[in-house]
Amino acid sequence: MAASVDPLVVGRVIGDVVDMFVPSVGMSVYYGSKHVTNGCDVKPSMATSPPKLNITGHSDELYTLVMTDPDAPSPSEPRMREWVHWIVVDIPGGTNPAQGMEILPYMGPRPPVGIHRYIMVLFQQKAPLGLVEQPPTRANFNTRLFAGNLDLGLPVATIYFNCQKEPASRRR
Amino acid sequence: MAITAAVATTTAADCSSNRWSMQSLSSALPSLNSITCSSIRFSSSSHCRPSLSLTRTQQAPHLFSSYTGLASNNPLLSLGFSDLTSFEHGLAFVDNGCRISAMRHGRRVPKLNRPPDQRRALLRGLTTQLLKHGRIKTTRARASAVRKYVDKMITLAKDGSLHKRRQALGFIYEKQIVHALFAEVQERYGERNGGYTRIIRTLPRRGDNAPMAYIELV
Repeated sequence: MAASVDPLVVGRVIGDVVDMFVPSVGMSVYYGSKHVTNGCDVKPSMATSPPKLNITGHSDELYTLVMTDPDAPSPSEPRMREWVHWIVVDIPGGTNPAQGMEILPYMGPRPPVGIHRYIMVLFQQKAPLGLVEQPPTRANFNTRLFAGNLDLGLPVATIYFNCQKEPASRRR
Repeated sequence: MAITAAVATTTAADCSSNRWSMQSLSSALPSLNSITCSSIRFSSSSHCRPSLSLTRTQQAPHLFSSYTGLASNNPLLSLGFSDLTSFEHGLAFVDNGCRISAMRHGRRVPKLNRPPDQRRALLRGLTTQLLKHGRIKTTRARASAVRKYVDKMITLAKDGSLHKRRQALGFIYEKQIVHALFAEVQERYGERNGGYTRIIRTLPRRGDNAPMAYIELV
């Protein structure tokens, strides 16, 4: 039995990618018609385009969204932990990432081996960030360092889902 | 019933922070009771994660919740034979004649509904795949049965001698995985004493409503 029931702790999101935090902003993620909850399964074919994301919060607050995969290339050997898929800054509260500035364009999940976790972390900004430089490569990204560099503090919301490579042929 | 009332009070004590009231649930239909019991057990972080609400009801066929459903259906118990119910309060009567206990008394080996040779092959295959991919999704019974074998393989790898390597080669189906495991286990699990896997329960499978789980290497 897990010592904690919080899905983020059970799924080791807190620990691998972020530190323990208190969620203060609601975030709802939709891939097409599928509502994403912690630990749910999403197919790569459904996640090729950026999800519809709605953030609660004041409209004068700015938020930063980071989507990473800590299990790249394989959960048993995460040599490229983490692989960053999407970075959007300056999202006004109560809206979606289309209103923000996309630092790193969205890349859909393409797990080569095993079942990967894809984590979307939302930070609250203290000041408008403007143009942030892109990370030189998507591999070996560190969310904590990124948040430290931009002085973002602890996250305010996190959601994660699982994704695995679809088999070429239809099974059952 | 004394049993359902006792069940309701224990579950009420578990989920005191939950927003449902157990009195309304205990008087409700048995199926509703089992849904809420199992969803409480699955993720009771609903006070801080509104997305994990009752929309994701999960039918965990835990024997505890199925017992409360049977108690209200069973005509014997509803007739109020109090001495019968109090003596065998741990046993539920299924109508095909066998007895299911709510506890694990005396169960040593998970049989997985298979004869011994197939069971061994299934467990060998599951450990091979888990060591190969790092995280797999199977049914909960299989995930909890395979823990023992994965831990055993990792312990063999930690020892590292030739004899242990050959023992591992006799169990795991793919040679590459054994050699890779023996190579990397020291730096990965060197300080950890046991508990090399983690099981995360997840939503049931669509085809047969089997309770699923992710099992992953810690």
